[in-house]
Amino acid sequence: MDARILLVEDDPSIREVTAIGLRGAGFTVDTAADGQAGLDRFRGDPFDLVLLDVMLPRLDGLEVCRAIRRTSTVPIVMLTARADTIDVVVGLEAGADDYVKKPFEVPELVARVRAALRRAGREPNDADRLQLGPLTIDIGGRSVARDGGEIPLTRTEFDLLLELTRHAGQVLARDVLLDRIWGYDYLGDSRLVDVAIQRLRAKVERDPAAPELIQTVRGAGYKAVR
Amino acid sequence: MIRGVRGRLTLTIVALVILTAAILGIGSYVFVDVRIREQALNNAEVQARFDLSSTIPDRLVRQTVEGMVASRLADTFRSRDIDTLVDFGGGEPFRSKQDLDIDQLSSQLRTAVANGQLAFEWARLGDTPSLVVGGRLPPSGPAFYFVRDVSALEATLDQLRLALGVGAVSLVAIALLAARRVARGVLAPVEAASRAAERIELGDLSARVPVTSGDEFGAWAQRFNRMAAALEETIGQLEAAQGQNRRFVADVSHELRTPLAALVAEASILRNDLDSLPAGTRRAGELLVADVARLRALVDDLMEISRFDSEAEEVAAHAVDVVRVLETLVANRFPEAQLAMPPGPVTIETDPRRLERIVGNLLDNAREHAPGSRAEVRLDMSDEGIVIAVEDRGPGVPPDRLERIFERFYKADPSRHGGSSGLGLAIAAEHATLLGGELRAVNRAGGGLQIELRLPVTRSLHHGDPSATGGEDGGGQPHPAEEPLP
Repeated sequence: MDARILLVEDDPSIREVTAIGLRGAGFTVDTAADGQAGLDRFRGDPFDLVLLDVMLPRLDGLEVCRAIRRTSTVPIVMLTARADTIDVVVGLEAGADDYVKKPFEVPELVARVRAALRRAGREPNDADRLQLGPLTIDIGGRSVARDGGEIPLTRTEFDLLLELTRHAGQVLARDVLLDRIWGYDYLGDSRLVDVAIQRLRAKVERDPAAPELIQTVRGAGYKAVR
Repeated sequence: MIRGVRGRLTLTIVALVILTAAILGIGSYVFVDVRIREQALNNAEVQARFDLSSTIPDRLVRQTVEGMVASRLADTFRSRDIDTLVDFGGGEPFRSKQDLDIDQLSSQLRTAVANGQLAFEWARLGDTPSLVVGGRLPPSGPAFYFVRDVSALEATLDQLRLALGVGAVSLVAIALLAARRVARGVLAPVEAASRAAERIELGDLSARVPVTSGDEFGAWAQRFNRMAAALEETIGQLEAAQGQNRRFVADVSHELRTPLAALVAEASILRNDLDSLPAGTRRAGELLVADVARLRALVDDLMEISRFDSEAEEVAAHAVDVVRVLETLVANRFPEAQLAMPPGPVTIETDPRRLERIVGNLLDNAREHAPGSRAEVRLDMSDEGIVIAVEDRGPGVPPDRLERIFERFYKADPSRHGGSSGLGLAIAAEHATLLGGELRAVNRAGGGLQIELRLPVTRSLHHGDPSATGGEDGGGQPHPAEEPLP
C-alpha cells in the first residue's frame, strides 16, 4: 500500500506522531499545519486521502473540506475533538466520508484510513442502472437522477443508496451498513449510519419527514422500498 | 394559622356587634314599652278617678244592675272604647259585654278594689289584651272595673320588637361582612409575606413583600425584603463561585485534551514496540501506556461531568429493551458477573446510551472495589418502574458514608488508589437524574455493596419514524438476531 495521504493538523505533537504511525503502516504522508496550507498543498499534488482536523487556524477544517469537495471526490476523514452528533452532521454535510474521534490510537486511525481507501478504490464493474421508485441510479456513472434531473450525492450517500437499493425490501442493520459502506470490521458508531440516512433522505425523498423510499425498521435497521 | 387568626378576629368583631345591638335593642324596647304603658295607665287612672268621683255618682240613682242599665253609663263609657263590669257585692254583676266575667280578674285586683283602692291590671280577657282599672264608688259602693282594649298598643310594641329584631340581625350580618374585610385587610401583609416566603422556599430568591404601609407591617415587610435581598446576594455569590469553579474544571479538561490526544497516539505506537526495548525501559514504557490510559479516562470523566454542569445535556429517549442492553453490556464489560433477568424483554422509554453509561460505571465500581469477588446484576420490575441492582461481595461502605459515594472524587477508603477517576458514580448519578431516576446505595446483608438504579416507566410507545436515533442499538454492538440473512 503506497497511498499518499495529506494530514492537516495544527498540533505539532499530534501531527508528528500521526505521521509516524501512518508511515509505519506503509503510507506516504504529507503534512500541513493550518487549513490554508493544507488546501494549497492539496491543490499542488494529488492525494489518495485527506485527514482533516476540524479546528484549524487560518481556515477551518470544514471550510477546507468543502473547498476540496468542489473539485474532488478524494476520501476525506475528519479528526474531531468532539463526537457529538452535531459535529458528525456538520462534517458529513461538508462532504466528509468518515470521522475519527480524538483522542485516537494510531492503529485505530490506520484501520479507518485503510477502510476509506478500500472503499474509494472499489471500481464500479457494473454498468447497469437500478431503479428505486422515481430514482434512476447509474452505477457506472455514480449518479442518481429523478425525473431527468440529477441529484448531487456524496460518495457515502451514493454507496448507501446503492447498497439499500441492491437489497430492496430487505432490512439492513446499522452494523451491516457500517461494515459494508464504511468498511468497519470492528465496532463503529451507529450514529454515523443514522446521520447519513437522514442526509440521504433529505436529498432523495419527496417528504424527508415521511420517507417512502428508505424506511426505518424499528429496532432492526433500514430498508429500501421499491 | 392565618385562617385561624382571621376567624378569631372576625368572631370577636361580630360578638362585639351582637352585644352592642342586644344592649341597644333591648334597652330601647324596654324604655318604649314602659313609657307607653305608663302613659296609657295614667290616662286610664285619671279617667277612672273622674268617673268614680263625678260621672257615676251624678247619674247612677240606684246601685243595682237595673240602675246601671237605666243610667246608660255603660253606653257613655262604650263611646270611649271602655267596657264596664260592676260588682255589686253578691248577686249578678253588671257587664257591658257578655263575655266579661269577674272571674277573669285576678284576686289581687279584686281584693285591692274591695279595700277601697284604685287598682289596675294588664290582663288578657278572652283573646283581647286589656287594661283593667278598678275602684269602688265611695264610700263603699259597688266595684267598678273599666276594661280598655289595648290591642293597638300591643301591636305597636310587637312591631317595635320585630323592627328591632330585624335591625339587629341586619346589623350582625353587616358586621360579619365588615369584620371579614377588616380581618383580611389586616392580615393581607401576612399573607403576602407567606406567599413570598413560599416562593423563596421554591427557589425564587427574587420574591419580595410589597411594602404598602408605614405601620408595623410595613416596617416588618422592609426587614423581610432586606433579609431576602441578603439571601439572594449570598446565594448569587455562591453560585457565581461555583460557576467559576465549574468553568475552571471545564477549561482545564478542555486544555488537557490536545496534549492528551498526542499522548494517546504516542502511547499507542510505543505499545506496539515495547518488546524491542531493554527490560527496564520496557517496564517504564508499559507504565507510561497504562498511565496514559488512566489519564484519558480521568479527562473523559471530567469533560463529561462538565457537560452536566453546563446543562447542555439532552436525553434521546426511545423504546429500549433493558434486558438486552444489560446482557450485551455485561458480556462486554464484566463477563464474570452473574445476571438475574426476568424472562422476555422489559421495554421502557429511556436513553440507552445513558443507561449503558450508568450500569457500566456501576460495574466498574464493583470490579474495582471488590476485585475478584462475585458480582451480580439484577433487574426487577415494580409498579413505579424498574430497578437495576449491581451487587458485589466486597467490603461494602460504612453506613454513614453510603450517600457520599455519589459525590465527586469521593473515596470511601482514602488509602485506596485505584485506576478510576473517582467520578464514575457521580457521573452515573447525574445520568440517572437526567433519566428521571435515581441511584441508591445499600450494604448487602451478607456483606458487600449494592447500588440500585431506579428508573420510572413512562411507556409511551409511539410508532413512527425515529430516523436519527431509532431502534435499539445496544451501544453499537452487533446483535446477531438482527442480521438479515445474506
